[in-house]
Amino acid sequence: MTQMTIREKGYHSWDGQLQPSTLQWLPMFFNGIKAAFKKKFAKGVFIFCVIPFFVFLIGIYVSTRPELRMMREIVRLLNDEPRFFNIFLTNGTLTFMFVLLGAFMGAELISQDVKFNSFPLYFARPLDRKDYIFGKFSILMFYYLLFSLVPGILLFIFKIIFTGKLAIGFNTLLGLIIVPPVVAFYIASIVLLLSSFSRSARHVKIFIFITYFLTQGISELLVEIFDSSYFHLISIADIIKQMGTFVFNVAPEHRYPGWLSLVVMIVLSLGAYWLLYHRIGKLEAQIESGN
Amino acid sequence: MEKIIELQNINFSYGAFKAIDSVSLGIDRGVYGLLGPNGAGKTTLMKILLGFLMPSSGSGRVLGFDITTSQKAVRERIGYMPETDCLMPEMDAVTLTAFLGELSGMPKQEAMKRAHEVLYYVGLEEARYRKVETYSAGMKQRLKLAQALVHDPKLLFLDEPSSGMDPQGRKDMLELIKDIAGKENMNIIISSHLLPDIESTCRHVIILNQGRMVFEQDVTANHTKKFNRFEIKLKGKTDGFFNRLKSANCTIQSNNRGLYTILLPKEQAPRDLFKIALESRVQIRHFQQSKATLEDTFVSAVGASHDTNDN
Repeated sequence: MTQMTIREKGYHSWDGQLQPSTLQWLPMFFNGIKAAFKKKFAKGVFIFCVIPFFVFLIGIYVSTRPELRMMREIVRLLNDEPRFFNIFLTNGTLTFMFVLLGAFMGAELISQDVKFNSFPLYFARPLDRKDYIFGKFSILMFYYLLFSLVPGILLFIFKIIFTGKLAIGFNTLLGLIIVPPVVAFYIASIVLLLSSFSRSARHVKIFIFITYFLTQGISELLVEIFDSSYFHLISIADIIKQMGTFVFNVAPEHRYPGWLSLVVMIVLSLGAYWLLYHRIGKLEAQIESGN
Repeated sequence: MEKIIELQNINFSYGAFKAIDSVSLGIDRGVYGLLGPNGAGKTTLMKILLGFLMPSSGSGRVLGFDITTSQKAVRERIGYMPETDCLMPEMDAVTLTAFLGELSGMPKQEAMKRAHEVLYYVGLEEARYRKVETYSAGMKQRLKLAQALVHDPKLLFLDEPSSGMDPQGRKDMLELIKDIAGKENMNIIISSHLLPDIESTCRHVIILNQGRMVFEQDVTANHTKKFNRFEIKLKGKTDGFFNRLKSANCTIQSNNRGLYTILLPKEQAPRDLFKIALESRVQIRHFQQSKATLEDTFVSAVGASHDTNDN
C-alpha cells in the first residue's frame, strides 16, 4: 500500500520542541559561512588571503637555519618576536586583503537583504536588531580571524617546532590575542555599515574600495600639509599599524601615541555599530511601510 | 476561554498621519479576517501585533505575551506571511525554509525535515531545490506560507495571502488556509482587501476603516440568527410602507437600482410584508429571499464610518 502524502493527509503539526537560545543568530553564522564558500572565486580569494601566512612561515623556517647567512637581516627581524608578529598581523598587505575579503563577502550581507526585502522574514522570528547585526558580524569576523588569529597561532606553533623552545613574551601573547579581533571588528563594522547604504552589492564594493583608498590618500595629504602625524588616524591601514606597535610594544610607525589608535579604532567600531543599529531600524521601517 | 489577542486603546501614527486610532479588541481562538479598504490600517495593526511597530499608546497581549515588552516570546509562537515580495537570494526553497525554521529555534535536522514536509504541503515539492529568485509570484506566495508554517506556530498571520496569484493558485491557497484552519490548535488572522477570500475562510470579521475598528462580529451568526432577508421591488408611494416596516422593527436598505433589501425579524412571517404593502397601497413587483453577503456588511460598516466622519 502506498503511503499517503502530507498534502493528502492535510496539515499536520510538528511534534518537536523549539529550543530558544541566547545565540539565536547562530544559524545566520553557519548559513553565511556556507554561502561564502559557495561563491564564485571564493577559493581564489581564500588562497590569496593565506599567502602572507606562507611567506611568514618560510621566514620562520629561514630564521632557524644558521647556514642561511645571506638572509641575516631577515633573521634579525624574525628573532624579534613581537615585531615579527606585529608585522604579520598589521602589515598593509593583510589589511588590503581584509578589505578585499570585506568587498567579496561583506558587501552583500545587508545590501541584499534590503534589495530582496528579507527583513520581515528575519524579524518575524525571535530575533531583534542586535541579533541580526551579531549574525552578520559573526560571518565577517569568522573569516577575518581565520586569516589572522588562526595563522598567527599556527606561526607561533611552527616557531616552537622549528626552534625547539617553548617560550613566549607577554607582549607577543597579548598582541596575538588582542590585535586580530580589534582589526577584524574595525574592518567588519566599516564593511557592514557600508553594506547598509545601498541595495546594490556592486555599489557597496565600490564604496569599500573608495573608503580604503580615499582615507589613505586624504591622510597622506593632510599629514603633508599640516605636518602632523595625527592625520594617520584617518587611514585604515596606518591606524592598524600604529595600534599594533602599541599592543606589541614595539617602535611606533608614526609620531603619535599608539594607544590613541587603539582608542580611536574601538570608538569608530562602536560608532559604526551604533549607526548600523539605527540604519537597520530605518531600513526595516521603510520596508514595512512599503517605501 | 482565554483570548489569543487582546488590545486596549492602541494608537499608532506615521508622522502626522494617524494609522491606528484607539483600537481595542479581543480575539478568541479561530480564524479571523481583517478587512478594510486600502490604507485602513490592516497591515499596520498586524505589524503592531507582531511587535514590528511599537504603538504610541495603549497596551496589548498576543498569546498572553505583552506586545511591547515580550516580542521575542510572541514571535517564537507565531508565523507570519508578509504581503511584500520578500525572499533571500542564492538559496533554494528547502534551504531557506529550513534556515528560517532554525532561526525560530528548531533543531537543524528537524528544521530540514519539516521544511521538506511543508514545501510538499504547499505544493512546491517539485520546485523545492530551485533558487527562490527564479520563482513565479504564485510560487513565492506558497513559499511564504511554507516558511510561516515551518515551526508549527500557534497563531498564523497571513497578509494578503492570495495576492498576485492566478485563479487556480488562489483557489489552492484558500483551500490550504481552510485546511490549516481546521486544525485544533491553529489560530489564523488573515488580512485582505479581497472580500471573497475572507468570506470563504473566516467566520469572524474585523473591519478597519481609517485606522479605526468599525465592525467586529461573527458574520455568519449575525444575519442568519436574527433576520430573514428579502429583496423587493415596489410600485406606488413607498413612504407609508417604509414607515410601517420601520415601526415593525424591519431594516430597509436601498441599492439604487429600484431594489430594496428588507431585513425582517425572524418572529415575523414574510406574508406580513404583503399585508403591510396592501394596507399601504403599494404593489410588490419582485420578491426574493436573499442571503447576507460580506460585501453588504463591509459596505454598511465602511459607509457608516464615512457618514460618522462626515458629520
